[in-house]
Amino acid sequence: MTIDDLNRRVSAARDEVESRGETFYPGASRIHLAAFPPKERWNDWVELDSKAWPKRVEKRYMLVPTTCFNCESACGLLAYVDRDTLQVRKFEGNPEHPGSRGRNCAKGPATINQVTDPDRILYPLRRAGARGAGKWERVSWDEALDDIAGRIRRCLEEERHEQVMYHVGRPGEDGYTTRMLAAWGVDGHNSHTNVCSSGARSGYHWWMGMDRPSPDHANAKTILLVSSHLETGHYFNPHAQRIIEGKKAGAKLIVLDTRLSNTATHADHWLSPYPGSEPAIFLSIANWMIQHGRYDRDFVRRWWNWQEFMTEVHGESEASFERFEEVLRSMYADYTFDFAAAESGIPAERLEAVAAVVAGSGTRLATYNWRSAGSGNLGGWQVARTMTLLNALLGALATEGGTFPNSWNKFTPRPPRLPHQHPKRWSEVLWPDEYPLALMEMSFLMPHLMREQEAFVDVYFTRVYNPVWTNPDGFSWIEMLTDESKIGQHIAMTPTWNETAYFADYVLPMGHSSERHDLTSYEQYDGQWIGFRQPVLRAARERLGEDISDTRDVNPGEVWEENEFWIELTWRIDPDGSLGIRQFFESLDRPGEKMTVDEYYGWIFENSVPGLPEAAAAEGLTPLDYMRRYGAFEVSRNVGKVYEHPVPDSELEDVRVDEAGRVYTRAPVPPSPKAPGGTKIDPDDDGRRRVGVRVDGEIVKGWPTPTGKLEFWSRTLSDWGWPELATPTYVKSHVHRQNLDSDQMPLLTTFRVPVQIHTRSANSKWLDEIAHTNPLWIHPSDARRLGIDKTGDLVRVETEIGYFVLKAWITEGIRPGVAACSHHMGRWKPEGHQGQRIGMMTVALDQSGSEWGLERKAGGGPFASEDPDTLRVWWTDVGVHQNLTHPVHPDPVSGMHCWHQAVRITPARPGDSFGDVSVDTAKSKAVYEKWLEMTRAASRHSPDGTRRPWWMLRPVRPVREAYDLPDREPVGA
Amino acid sequence: MPDGAPAELLRSLAVLVEPPTAGHAAIVEALGLSGAASPGGYADVFAFQLYPYASVYLGAEGMLGGEARDRVAGLWRALGQKPPKEPDHLAALLGIYARIEDVMAHAGAAERALLVEGQRTLLAEHVAPWAFAWSERVAELSPEPYRGWAGLLVGTLRSEVERLGVADACTPRALEEVGPVRDPRTEGSEPFLSDLLAYARSGLVFTRADLAAVAAELDLGLRAGERRYALEHLLAQDPEGVLRTLAGKAATQAEGHEAREVWLGPTSGHFGARARGTERLLLELSTSVGEPAEAIP
Repeated sequence: MTIDDLNRRVSAARDEVESRGETFYPGASRIHLAAFPPKERWNDWVELDSKAWPKRVEKRYMLVPTTCFNCESACGLLAYVDRDTLQVRKFEGNPEHPGSRGRNCAKGPATINQVTDPDRILYPLRRAGARGAGKWERVSWDEALDDIAGRIRRCLEEERHEQVMYHVGRPGEDGYTTRMLAAWGVDGHNSHTNVCSSGARSGYHWWMGMDRPSPDHANAKTILLVSSHLETGHYFNPHAQRIIEGKKAGAKLIVLDTRLSNTATHADHWLSPYPGSEPAIFLSIANWMIQHGRYDRDFVRRWWNWQEFMTEVHGESEASFERFEEVLRSMYADYTFDFAAAESGIPAERLEAVAAVVAGSGTRLATYNWRSAGSGNLGGWQVARTMTLLNALLGALATEGGTFPNSWNKFTPRPPRLPHQHPKRWSEVLWPDEYPLALMEMSFLMPHLMREQEAFVDVYFTRVYNPVWTNPDGFSWIEMLTDESKIGQHIAMTPTWNETAYFADYVLPMGHSSERHDLTSYEQYDGQWIGFRQPVLRAARERLGEDISDTRDVNPGEVWEENEFWIELTWRIDPDGSLGIRQFFESLDRPGEKMTVDEYYGWIFENSVPGLPEAAAAEGLTPLDYMRRYGAFEVSRNVGKVYEHPVPDSELEDVRVDEAGRVYTRAPVPPSPKAPGGTKIDPDDDGRRRVGVRVDGEIVKGWPTPTGKLEFWSRTLSDWGWPELATPTYVKSHVHRQNLDSDQMPLLTTFRVPVQIHTRSANSKWLDEIAHTNPLWIHPSDARRLGIDKTGDLVRVETEIGYFVLKAWITEGIRPGVAACSHHMGRWKPEGHQGQRIGMMTVALDQSGSEWGLERKAGGGPFASEDPDTLRVWWTDVGVHQNLTHPVHPDPVSGMHCWHQAVRITPARPGDSFGDVSVDTAKSKAVYEKWLEMTRAASRHSPDGTRRPWWMLRPVRPVREAYDLPDREPVGA
Repeated sequence: MPDGAPAELLRSLAVLVEPPTAGHAAIVEALGLSGAASPGGYADVFAFQLYPYASVYLGAEGMLGGEARDRVAGLWRALGQKPPKEPDHLAALLGIYARIEDVMAHAGAAERALLVEGQRTLLAEHVAPWAFAWSERVAELSPEPYRGWAGLLVGTLRSEVERLGVADACTPRALEEVGPVRDPRTEGSEPFLSDLLAYARSGLVFTRADLAAVAAELDLGLRAGERRYALEHLLAQDPEGVLRTLAGKAATQAEGHEAREVWLGPTSGHFGARARGTERLLLELSTSVGEPAEAIP
């Protein structure tokens, strides 16, 4: 027998053994070389039991993939399910996941802490006393569902659709609940995005018609970050590994961060700007590139809407490109390096050095902003807008090594049933008149808008979201939530106790990442993938031959997954189908019966994910089984310049090209496996839909903007009251030096610590041990000036509405004249309430009229539980809840809450204690009204009598008629 | 000549050089070997006679670990793999070799060329210099299935040596820098004893079984203990006979190296020369036993 024959014979033997579901190569063996168990061995993976050392005791696992549910990166996880006990023992990375590629940050493996948290919520609870009194009783799911569904049904029957609201933190899924709300006919989708990323999103949206960046870090020549993205932030794990790949290949890393973050330490150029000056820096770089001709003229000529700009702003409809360049040079001439140096405090020569690096990037400039400065400042949306100007000058958009728009690097498959109806009634609480251009719902203003509008929300879901803690002005939230004339019923859907759930009527136990189904896809490189989150014990038991139809059968306690919950709730809202809602949650195969999650996802994987059925068939699996086995699938890669793709002839029928080059067709929209979404571009007067743009005689797809081009000048901004901001420009922040009193300084609050993720990860003992407090970063020179002697001294930080007391950390890692405090930490539970013990202090809440106090009664510390580790908790300092002292700062254009605070810092006063918080909500109202004065309401500025530009993104779109403005004066006018 | 390495065959051979489990039976059967892999047989061969670690044979000390292991770990890293705890274990070396073949199936032309070079380096510098001599001793000293296993390993590795043109490779510099067995007449007995048992210096794979055979042949007492301890006490009993007998074994192993040089290339020649040098030294020493005692062990 030859070597080849023998090789084939062994292969055949292996296939034969493994086809029986058995293992050919025993473990633990040295031949399993990869950092990850080979996927063919996931069904029976053997490791030595570390606890049995020095004995070699083998543990057998079934490895079941799922998706992390902590941050929104949706990294792949592998749950190690003990084959003997059918319990999850640990989580590690899923090497089959195209985004995270088997790598995880600390939060992924820490999922096991969340799953086994002794204080997690395992059963539905209903309040048994006054709302917020901390008295609860266990109820059945049936009781809770019937009560909630009955209330929602009455809202719908009585045409009170706007009184149903779903307030979500990070969704962790792609479109399931927005489609559900559309099916209910409810304009009640309330996201957290305006306290998160709306600033940056707005900047991107008004350039590209898409609202998020997808930088191709790995192939970049220059990586420009306005973030601490090597350590924290959206998609940081998938991005960080690619940033390092880029650096290894020679890319230069430029980091703008006022703090010396871990990311800044890796930078080739670290710029520590005065907060809010970032757009001035980018404009100075752009100006230098423009003045020196260091930009891609042909790209600018082809793809900017410069003709529209010259026509509308300069009245020169026949202007040449050269004339536009002349105007461009003039527009930005004042943004010199000296100007930017004066604003940012960074020497002009350093800025010039950075400009040379950026200008030398060609089309390989990868830029990124998600929160950071974009979320901190009045006008913060100009951070993304001016940074994207650099990409747009270089043509570094959707290029290898450049920055892609999110939608081209994301794949949201079409579901089996797509609600065709749209809400008929506009939610003015979420989309108020004063903020017509807000990219997302004005969620953080809810207490103020409810008060001003005398509104009532009958059914209010908070879903894995904690506005009392996360949002600014939390005491106003408590006031709203405890007022039953404002909130009829509050249902907190959460795996663990949080500050908002204390003020709920129902607390419903939801699953962590290994206990729920979700489908995700995020823009993390130039490719498209889907990731499947699944209840891993369900998948494990199904592999063993069991038939599981209700995830509660395998989850801890009565923890439920949301899809099954929503299907059941919807059926109880519309049990006989008379409301026309139930149909969207009915089985395709079994009319009149509920759709199951297996059918829902099975249909999607079979019908809406190109390539997946073939990949599954190659392994003898159904597409659903494939996703249950591997957890992720890459749909495409190297998507490239979609805007340059020619429009196929089949889509060109009775074509009309308007004077701006926009191409309209009568050809129907071709079927697509993707779920519909994105911007809405109006048809032409004859009803043709826009299909592309003509550029240099060729009809190509273009961008999903009103012009089909990159919108250097935004007609939307101009027409809706903001002509001075219609091109990329600089807005002085509310914490600009000229806006501060002499004893004030800016406080940065938006940064994260690397191992935590807002309140979602707080019930992880491992993460809490690493990071559990949030001191005040302050420079030694400031500490001396303010009389703060040493690290650990207590300081009082006064905002516009109150103060908080915390410990100082004197460090040169922060720019002089600026203080910083991470918004993580400071979790609490009121005295007398049950709740999470690890990572939470116990506090006394005190209210006297509008004056509120929070006093720390006990810190964290050891406690007895079923987990012996809780007796080993050695830390008591769990930080301070600073967000309570932040008033709302809604940017009048983007709607983003501008997080930075102008504060006065003094040594703590006699009587001050660590963790103290004091706030006057009457002052909160005054600050809200002050910022309201900056708005330009739709009722006064709408160019067409509508509430909001139709084309702009909106998670749930009401019917077109609902966009029409009612006949009334704006609130606060 | 096959296009690629027989990855599955290499993996299955690798697994058999690990402690046997019930799962080994299927692999033994697939390989067409006779006998059953037993813990006793495994321990006798791989734990007491012939340690399956490259560092034992490629390091100047003839011991586990050290720079030889570091060099292997470096290659793992160069191949984009995190080195395991024992990167130089034969199972791990064969495993990564097979893994490279798997990765190559999905690699572009440029990456493929790099991977092939990685395989070649792995084979030429970290496997071939010792594995053939070692395998022949395994075949000589082991029960089935390890006897047959060793034959398959030699055949498979030789096929790879020929496929990748390893015969054209120079002797690795690290091996050239290791000196020969030091002469006890000038360096003392301690280095001599250590060097004799260090393959990189002596060119010889000396096992406990070899020492037992010497003791039996010369009717000497074999002290229980490490090889060095046993050897020291054999020499104390009958230095001339032991040295002469060992020289005979060195000659046999030298012939093996010389025979392989045709297809394995200069590295085999290097070890052939080392083995001949050791043979000569042993013979010289055996004839000078009558000289002052301190000059010989």
